[in-house]
Amino acid sequence: MNYAVITIPDFSLHALRRSEPDLARKPVALIEGEGRKAVLVQVSPEALGVERGLAVSLAMARCPGIVLRTRDLKAETDSHRLLVAAAFTLSPRVEITGPECCTVDLQGANPEQTERAMRQGVADLMRMGLPARPGAAATPLLAHYAACCAEPVLVVRDAREFLHDLPLSFAEPTARQAEVLDGWGIRTLGQLAALPKAEVGQRLGTEGAALWERAAGETTRPLRLTQPTQTFASAWDYEPGIDNIEPLFFKLRRYAECLAFELRSAGFVAESLALTLLLEDETDYWREYQLPEPNTDVEGWLKVMHSQLESLTLPARVVTVRFVAKPTRPLVKQEGLFDTGLRDPHAFWENLAKVSAILGEERVGTPVLEDTWRPDSFTLERPAESVPAPGPAAVHPPQGGVLRRFRPPRPVLVMMENSRPSGISGYASGAVQAAAGPWRASGDWWRPDHWAVETWHVEMETGEIFQLARTAGGWTIEGVVD
Amino acid sequence: MPKASSTLAALRSLVAAWNPPDRRACEGVPTGVPAIDSALGGGLPGGQLTELVVAPGSGGQLTLVQLFETTRSARQRVALIDATDAFAPEVVAADLLRHLVWARCHNTEEAFKVADVLVRDGNYAAVVLDLRDAPGSALNRIPKTTWHRLHRITERQPAAVLVLSRYGLVPAVRWRLELPSRFRLSEQRRPRLELITALHAEALRGTFTEEMAG
Repeated sequence: MNYAVITIPDFSLHALRRSEPDLARKPVALIEGEGRKAVLVQVSPEALGVERGLAVSLAMARCPGIVLRTRDLKAETDSHRLLVAAAFTLSPRVEITGPECCTVDLQGANPEQTERAMRQGVADLMRMGLPARPGAAATPLLAHYAACCAEPVLVVRDAREFLHDLPLSFAEPTARQAEVLDGWGIRTLGQLAALPKAEVGQRLGTEGAALWERAAGETTRPLRLTQPTQTFASAWDYEPGIDNIEPLFFKLRRYAECLAFELRSAGFVAESLALTLLLEDETDYWREYQLPEPNTDVEGWLKVMHSQLESLTLPARVVTVRFVAKPTRPLVKQEGLFDTGLRDPHAFWENLAKVSAILGEERVGTPVLEDTWRPDSFTLERPAESVPAPGPAAVHPPQGGVLRRFRPPRPVLVMMENSRPSGISGYASGAVQAAAGPWRASGDWWRPDHWAVETWHVEMETGEIFQLARTAGGWTIEGVVD
Repeated sequence: MPKASSTLAALRSLVAAWNPPDRRACEGVPTGVPAIDSALGGGLPGGQLTELVVAPGSGGQLTLVQLFETTRSARQRVALIDATDAFAPEVVAADLLRHLVWARCHNTEEAFKVADVLVRDGNYAAVVLDLRDAPGSALNRIPKTTWHRLHRITERQPAAVLVLSRYGLVPAVRWRLELPSRFRLSEQRRPRLELITALHAEALRGTFTEEMAG
């Protein structure tokens, strides 16, 4: 098999039903034309007694509960993107043959792997509400015939046998050709292909020879290749606007699944997500969600967004949503033999995102000290994937108790005696029983925010040991030594 | 009428069913403070809450830092839920904090929300909920059901959960220890390891010998 064709029968109808889940299992038909001239063009199997080409009034009489709709071009565009994404899972050489059909060049591909990929693609599209039918054969035309007959996947290995019983209508003869061939008793492609091509050409002309080639499935053509998408974005509207997250998440999930599928088929994962909400008052809300680990896990995406969105209050209703996934290549790395990794990385990053939503992103992480002696200087960074082996022990072992900080430091009045604190008043008051210090430090003198601090440890009558700091702003209690 | 032995066996099986099966199988997490580890029979028990009651200056922060150092050596992850945002990372060597996830809460309510998330996580060997210096009014408002919920969550996870408090807070806690001693300013020049070794822990509820007998 050199080519595959993926097609979705009744594409417009399935695209519509996919965009409106309420229509599932209801008799639905698409109509074209206006007024009395309107006729049914696509009909769902639930609409019993109704067929294509039927007038609307007749269809309503035969099937009273039938839902009649016109085509939804936005829904068709979304579904078409999924079809194209599925085609790119088979090969990078894809032609968009029509809105409901893609042709794929499989030359050089492993047949078994391709067939598995086709079945997987069918399952993925089916899960998203699109019953695709892929067929594979030696030529694009044969593959198209195969796709039309597929239930759900058909790989043609013997073209002669496959064509033998196919109706002549597959080769699309003109009315005159069909009449002549019917007179000859030719009703299948196999019967026509069994005739000598030259003889058919002599009697039916060049058009007849072309029909014979189509019947034999020998017609081949170069594909008009398309490039895989590099932008992964979806947008949708609400009419009327929405004021809570339930309807937002309902559609967000569906579009997120589509984007994740597109990303996977293009060999990407999402590095970050961006959500833009356009409001009724013509303002907008924009937020980027940095994913803890690049992935295409829709549930994980939604959890990250839900933690933040559920506490969001907007000044007006949401009328339009734009959702963008920033693509990146999947991380491929090998863990160190003795690294202590995460037992459940997804839970770890997801829970960190939840905690960030509660506290704010800047208030959770692993503390990393800054390269300065300035008091209380550190940053919180993203925790390491694995806990590395500890470094060598400090040359000078630490002494004394550990400071427990007051943030912000508590202002206090300090009485001095012989240049040493003798009593304090303010947050804590009383006579100082013993004092140790001063320890002086300063830095960044070349910058506007230069600093200098004098630190003391004082033991109070209550037994508490406070760390006092004298800066240009006065005395403060920085914390308690514990 | 059923025999007494069969009734007792049924009662035991009921108690066993109520107790999560992996409760005793969870390994303890040594704190590195000999007095605490010996009182707990090896370390903070996994899948259980342990409460440590500490007055200011009695070594609570020292214990916390020692726990960080011990777990760092074992390359285990630790979460610190800091209800009053009081931890000072500069007092510890930078390398000793690479396993730590520090949640700097604004208030007690946030601390419990974060605890609810992190205790469930399963990636941490120990989760420390530091409620010292949290306003008494906020602590008194914590409903018992919140503690009950935390107990139940903890039971299902391997992590040891340590609650640091100024007075006994946690209802129905299996282990409640207190550090009664207080350091003087004159002792601040002693090596930290000596201070840790000198710490004394009193069991206010539950002892290792009771546990063994039970």
